[in-house]
Amino acid sequence: MAEERPGSWFGFGFCGFGQALGSGRGRQVLSPEPLRVPDAGTDICDIGSLSAAWSYTAIVSSAGRLLLSGSARGAADGCRDAWASETLRAVLRDGPGGPGPGAELQAWAPGAALRGEPLWARPAGPEEAGREDDGAACETRAGPLPLLPGARAHLSPRPPLCRPLCPALRARRLALGAEHALLLDAAGQVLSWGGGRHGQLGHGTLEAEPAPRLLEALQGLRVAAVAAGGWHSVCVGETGDIYVWGWNESGQLALPARGLAEDGQTDAGEAPALKEDGAGLKGPAGPEDAAAAPFIAVQPFPALLDLPLGADAAAASCGSRHTAVVTRTGELYTWGWGKYGQLGHGDTASRDRPRRVQCFVREQLRVTAVSCGPWNTYVRAVEPGRS
Amino acid sequence: MAEDGNRDAPAAGLGALWGALRALLPRTKEELRLDLGESVERSVVLLLQQAADLFYGGRRSECLQTSEVVLDYSWEKLNTGLWQDVDKDWRRVYAFGCLLKAVCLCEAPGDATTVAAALRVCDMGLLMGAAIFDDILIKVAAVLQAHLLPGKRPAHIPAPEQPCLKKARNSHVSIPDLRSERAVPRLRCPSLQHFRKHHLVPQTPVILEGVADHWPCMKKWSLEYIQEVAGCRTVPVEVGSRYTDEEWSQRLMTVSEFIDSYVLNEPRDVGYLAQHQLFDQIPELKQDISIPDYCCLGDGEEEEITINAWFGPPGTVSPLHQDPQQNFLAQVLGRKYIRLYSPQESEAVYPHDTHLLHNTSQVDVENPDLERFPGFAEAPFLSCILCPGELLFIPAKHWHYVRALDLSFSVSFWWS
Repeated sequence: MAEERPGSWFGFGFCGFGQALGSGRGRQVLSPEPLRVPDAGTDICDIGSLSAAWSYTAIVSSAGRLLLSGSARGAADGCRDAWASETLRAVLRDGPGGPGPGAELQAWAPGAALRGEPLWARPAGPEEAGREDDGAACETRAGPLPLLPGARAHLSPRPPLCRPLCPALRARRLALGAEHALLLDAAGQVLSWGGGRHGQLGHGTLEAEPAPRLLEALQGLRVAAVAAGGWHSVCVGETGDIYVWGWNESGQLALPARGLAEDGQTDAGEAPALKEDGAGLKGPAGPEDAAAAPFIAVQPFPALLDLPLGADAAAASCGSRHTAVVTRTGELYTWGWGKYGQLGHGDTASRDRPRRVQCFVREQLRVTAVSCGPWNTYVRAVEPGRS
Repeated sequence: MAEDGNRDAPAAGLGALWGALRALLPRTKEELRLDLGESVERSVVLLLQQAADLFYGGRRSECLQTSEVVLDYSWEKLNTGLWQDVDKDWRRVYAFGCLLKAVCLCEAPGDATTVAAALRVCDMGLLMGAAIFDDILIKVAAVLQAHLLPGKRPAHIPAPEQPCLKKARNSHVSIPDLRSERAVPRLRCPSLQHFRKHHLVPQTPVILEGVADHWPCMKKWSLEYIQEVAGCRTVPVEVGSRYTDEEWSQRLMTVSEFIDSYVLNEPRDVGYLAQHQLFDQIPELKQDISIPDYCCLGDGEEEEITINAWFGPPGTVSPLHQDPQQNFLAQVLGRKYIRLYSPQESEAVYPHDTHLLHNTSQVDVENPDLERFPGFAEAPFLSCILCPGELLFIPAKHWHYVRALDLSFSVSFWWS
């Protein structure tokens, strides 16, 4: 990872359990607010890893301090990575000799404080040798967990909590949805498995896949990042292309969504001129428009998604039913379910077209990373001029 | 839809509504507790307690917000995995959210729209949730429905020939010529033993006459009656020619909306209120039908019998498919053309090879592609036009194809 000066973290969306998100007032934040962790003993700026479950958030600072906020609270030192899910909390801890080999993976029940005995603990596998992430703006190191170091197993929120992965897959990144899994391998190929009833596997059918299966539709594309929502999937190619597939019930694929049109919220139905922020001309979609742009409930194989103004993607993250993408020029676009403010546009509307989060443009901040919890979004941004 | 007859005295009207709803709920918050198993996460249990605390603490708008969170989260669980695998506890949680939301919506003075919205929430809880607190949602729905239709509930007026029925009849529906087809045999009020020996055991179809023709629904049900009893209730509707089509989808709407959009007014699309357990949702309708006595010949309990409503305009089609249980199909309104193929002909009906559709044939029965499905032409079958008052026995796993020739209402009983 390219060395970067610490940026500032922001959050927006659902915080009904008091998890660190922003000002901490109320149960949802509709626009980006600076992240503030209650009782934080460290500088929030230098977050190394952030993982948000529905009711709590786990933040690991670069110095190795883990902070939990929300329905789970507590702090611990000597942590390298954390993975938060509603049923399981996993922490990668340094061994007794500090960082390096001897690291241990611990799994905790969600309600347990960080003292006492974890559910289980095991030595973490050897670090992948000589691996380097590159790219101008990387994903927050929310990975490799749930992928275990060594990439021979991964975590799961449902038992069995630790599942083997065939080493021949050479997994680099793993993303988990509500019923499916996406794997990015060393060659930039994407594999998927699990439930497929909403098209989230991307193989063109609604059938489940018991084992990792290569996404043939993406062959020839070198993928740099994968992200999984509840029932949708997103990948970012090395050249900055975005592909989406899966369920579009709230517009999380940025395709015309019937539910939004019926609520008068859809932006889809081609607007000839796009405003600078890419919002498009909003107006009620009349029945004629609906006929022109057929609604898509399920997209069973990858579809190329164009961001407004031809922007290239650098990173992507998915919540349960929303999607967030960081562009190479440091802008953040969000779309999908917005009922809890997780899109960051200052309201609770859902959207089926990408919309730029204006807050960062207004404040002249460059977005460098995004990490979504199920119903919220965390963003890292720096002042321009800093790398 | 329902007129706001309470406009003159909204406070009084809704005061009475609120009182009636509040009386349905337990007196104390301790009693409004669900016993939930391990699969419901601790954080959700906390939220449910919080919602109950807020409700009994008189903090309705906060309770409403918390209920929304409960609904949204449990909705995600309901949509994870196969429906039959969804843990019943999550459906209870969903119903709980619907209950509190529906009741909270009716606290402040509002209008018919608010009450209709609360009723919709109840219906969502009935459709997707599981029974809680002794079927409280049914009682809440009944109270809300009564409030929406003050004084407009005629009890048992027999329905004369409805002009709407004639208006709704579609002259473009073709009536098949059955002269060249083998007919489903008919029996008039056979004894249980006769039915068992000659049809249940050998698993052969038969039309039973004289069995259902005195059910109250045969005289009472009409488009108007259904509008009155169920018009404001939300139901799932299938839109599209058949469920094997790409353009097929399922939507939720009130029965009135369904009738307006897909039965009357020369609808553009085909809509079908199909395979819906309407009689669990609206117990009043259940009193108009009976469970055929022959179901007692099966192994299952009477409570386990699944009763579905099938209500739609002329032209609705159920593609050739098979179901795992025995089926009695009672015709109430209109006529249906039905074709039956024995399970022995399963190869000749070319089922889909996907898991999702393996119980559905690929063949369009009345317009078969004989190049792709050559064996279908010679496959033997039985057919009939099922008329009001008649009861068709479809043995388990028997392939059946159904097309409505008129505005049609059928009731199916799935039993084992």
